[in-house]
Amino acid sequence: MKYKNILFIAAIIGIVISLFYIYSNTPRTVEKITKPDQCMSCHSDMSDIDHAHPKEIFGCASCHGGNKFATDKTNAHKGIVLNPARLEHASIFCIKCHKDIVKRVSKSMMQSQSGILNVLKYQWGESKDLNSTIGVDDIRGDSNTSLAQSHFRKLCAACHVNQDEKVFDNQNIARGGGCSDCHRVSKTNKNKHAVFTSKIPTQNCLKCHNRSNRIGLSYQGIFESEGYGTPYKYGEFSHKMSDGKRFYYELPDDIHHRDANMSCIDCHTEKGVMGDGEKHHHMEEAEDIKCKDCHQPQFKKANTLAETLADLNEKVPEPKVIAYTRKFNSPLYNVQNDKNKTSFYRKSDGKKFDLKKMSDKPYHTSDMHKRLDCSACHSSWAPSCYGCHEVYFENGKQFDWVEKKATKGQWQEFRSFLRFESPSLGIGYNKKIMPFAPGCQVIATIYKDKKVEKFHAMAMAGWDPHTTQKEVRTCVDCHFNPASLGLGRGNLDIKNDKILFSPFYDSNKSGMPFSYPIDAFVSKEGKQFQTTSRKEARSFNKDELTSIVSAYKCILCHDNYGDKIYKNFTKSKELFYSGKTKCLD
Amino acid sequence: MLRLVTIFLFLITFIEAQDCIQCHKKETIKCQNSNHYTLKNAINITRNAWGIKDSNVTLQSLPYSKFDIKKPADLVDDFLRRKCLKCHLGVKNSGEKGMKREKSCLACHSKHNNKGKCQPKKIPMKKCLTCHNKEFVGTDYMGLFPKDYHHSFRAPLKKDGSYPTQKYGIDYHNLNQDIHYKLGMSCVDCHNNKNGKNWEKSVTCKECHKGLSKNNHKEYHSNISCSACHSSWSMSSYELSVFRDDTGDYKKWKNLVLQEDGYLTKFLTKALKSKKKIKPVMPDWIDMKLKKGIWYSGWRYRRWEDLVLGTDEKGIIKILRPMFQYRVSYRDENGTMILDDVATSDGVPLEAWTLYSPHTITKKSKSCERCHEINNKKGGVYSLKKPERVVNGSILTKQQLKKLKSDYYKIERYKEF
Repeated sequence: MKYKNILFIAAIIGIVISLFYIYSNTPRTVEKITKPDQCMSCHSDMSDIDHAHPKEIFGCASCHGGNKFATDKTNAHKGIVLNPARLEHASIFCIKCHKDIVKRVSKSMMQSQSGILNVLKYQWGESKDLNSTIGVDDIRGDSNTSLAQSHFRKLCAACHVNQDEKVFDNQNIARGGGCSDCHRVSKTNKNKHAVFTSKIPTQNCLKCHNRSNRIGLSYQGIFESEGYGTPYKYGEFSHKMSDGKRFYYELPDDIHHRDANMSCIDCHTEKGVMGDGEKHHHMEEAEDIKCKDCHQPQFKKANTLAETLADLNEKVPEPKVIAYTRKFNSPLYNVQNDKNKTSFYRKSDGKKFDLKKMSDKPYHTSDMHKRLDCSACHSSWAPSCYGCHEVYFENGKQFDWVEKKATKGQWQEFRSFLRFESPSLGIGYNKKIMPFAPGCQVIATIYKDKKVEKFHAMAMAGWDPHTTQKEVRTCVDCHFNPASLGLGRGNLDIKNDKILFSPFYDSNKSGMPFSYPIDAFVSKEGKQFQTTSRKEARSFNKDELTSIVSAYKCILCHDNYGDKIYKNFTKSKELFYSGKTKCLD
Repeated sequence: MLRLVTIFLFLITFIEAQDCIQCHKKETIKCQNSNHYTLKNAINITRNAWGIKDSNVTLQSLPYSKFDIKKPADLVDDFLRRKCLKCHLGVKNSGEKGMKREKSCLACHSKHNNKGKCQPKKIPMKKCLTCHNKEFVGTDYMGLFPKDYHHSFRAPLKKDGSYPTQKYGIDYHNLNQDIHYKLGMSCVDCHNNKNGKNWEKSVTCKECHKGLSKNNHKEYHSNISCSACHSSWSMSSYELSVFRDDTGDYKKWKNLVLQEDGYLTKFLTKALKSKKKIKPVMPDWIDMKLKKGIWYSGWRYRRWEDLVLGTDEKGIIKILRPMFQYRVSYRDENGTMILDDVATSDGVPLEAWTLYSPHTITKKSKSCERCHEINNKKGGVYSLKKPERVVNGSILTKQQLKKLKSDYYKIERYKEF
């Protein structure tokens, strides 16, 4: 009996084993999915990337490559790429449909970082050419060991579109990945494919735009603080940034953020962001949008691109008559004109807002302020980091973001002090008056084997700080605040049309290698102390300073634009100087 | 009798004073009533700010904090003893660089030499500055403004690549110096007891600067202190978060070891390097015993260009500074948050705005606009509260603010251009 049982069990085991053997050696029965590629026979449960790329049409291979006819893993996976959105792959895969975009992005400034690299070289005296287009891809592998280049490699180059995400220790702050740097909103997890979108969330932009001029932070009312981490909450530092190392405090956010929670892409057009196909030297050349494109719009019929973009967006209603940017003629499909009423539709969810057009009140139309950029008055604050004390240890080691390995030489950054209130003003890249902040005030110490070398390169930079408010800076905050005028913090007065100014900061005694106050862009005599990074950009000159400060004599009494003297200021002045109207009447 | 007891206590506190009193009896007795000895201003301002009403104690009668902490007022004496009162006459110095001094009489005065002859009587400024520094009047006279704590502000580095040497407990920015300093005057040139005056009471400028020109000092400015116009910059230190932590959690402070507290800097540097767990202890600077817990601190931000005005009890307009706007946290050794970022007591902020005279005097006064445009200056950017609690006066009234922009002002100002 026992013997029989054992035989029976052995027979069953034998049958199971042989069945399993047969099963595992038989090619898996091909399921009936043959469309659009054989990949689907295994990956049919993979979710869609987005509604524009349904897997039923695209399959896997059209983006990821591989052998789409193969039915076994080894053959099918031959030559596939994990992230086809990296620019070198995108120029094989994505380009099949997105022909011009891939080419444009590859030349764009967010990829090349040429603006940063060349301004740096110029400011540090290594190049006289402000208009070079040499970028991150051009210096890879070269033997140039100049200080500016080393600084760029180790501190700046982490932030370009095609950076390798894997090289970041802290994946929370990983950047790069080509198209996915901006377009990806979630990562692939098992059978959930990474989700891509054309509705780029601000968070994606913030991965990079959180240092230097800190536009992405300022827009949300976040100011990088002195690093105290106060107030302490639950026994820990509060107001930590995502990198876990820096802290912030809250200041008024941009009105576009506060009132409408607009994302970056609500203003910034696809050409403005991904480039127009040309290699540009500076941000403003690549930038598309201007305030007046929305607030003083030019309407035209919606073109095909507008329709496509709105269709991809899914939330914004079908565009009929829309605004266009003046520079690249890009359709602003979310700024629509309907029966003489202008509406703005938020791209993230299609919510409708009334768009307020720029008024034609004297403060916008009068001649005396025609040289002002909108940001000169409407920006309430700007992150201003004074004194960038750069230290370089030649014998140290630090990660090189271009070569993606640690190499010789190590940089460390120190600073003097931070401010956000009353940004300085000057003549910007567009020859208009706009806010300026240190950009950058480099005071470098180079520690070599046996000697210490020093140099300094002090510069101020003008930009729109993205802290727009409806309420503007007061007249006196520009006309009689020495910090705003670029003189620095101190005591300002005027006597017989002569500017009197005594600064607070003593740079020499504070250990700086120059005698002008560190927060002074210009002297009261109009002598510019610090350079800029554009040919057109400069501080106010003597005449401008005198005329701005002298205007305060009128502002003292006539301190708002509602005042009748501003209705026709030229005439008012004529009457005044001919003695027909008296002051203090 | 009571007097004898206090003299006795005084002698116990300052053994060295025993030698001095043999000859300088009058001065020694006078000294024990002085604010330098009792520190009652600093103590009571802080206790009031933390919610103890009508506090009136001295360094000598300062109680210990309770064991059962429920509100900031229960913890203020611990805070005073271990964080603020590092600088009384009974201690030498708190281990900060550039702060070395003797205690007792010798904290300020020099010893007789062996031959029994007096050293020069004049107290050197350096001695005063071992206590009167950082946020307080003293180092501002030399144009010094404390730098922020984070290590990234400790630049420029020295030639060997190390951090700069601190003076008076922290690194400083160098700003405009007081004109009296530039002319070589030291503290005691004004603050002395010549002609029978009380050396601790504030000196008036008029004692020296008699007969001011009427052209520049108009009738309408008669209720303004000299320093309100003639100081160049002043000290505005906004929001001081203080945190007593009884757990040994040091790692997060690695970039903030410099907290204007020499003991803490040394302690943290050691604790961060040590592989062993080091107990969090900090001295009580009055009984000089090491006690449980570390007091940490951090600012919101500090400014030298800000200007807030107030009126003192006599109606004189002076410069107001926040000192300080406290936010208090306390975590016990079990990690329980007993106080978590408490900023008010019975609805009143834990703050003490103080009218003061910045020692940053310049010959040329401020331009009119620095005061008269005071309300418009900030452009709505500041999110911090306006002063509510002023220790020695009040904020400007609505009427006063209106006056700043009156037609009369405008007419007078226009004449000046």
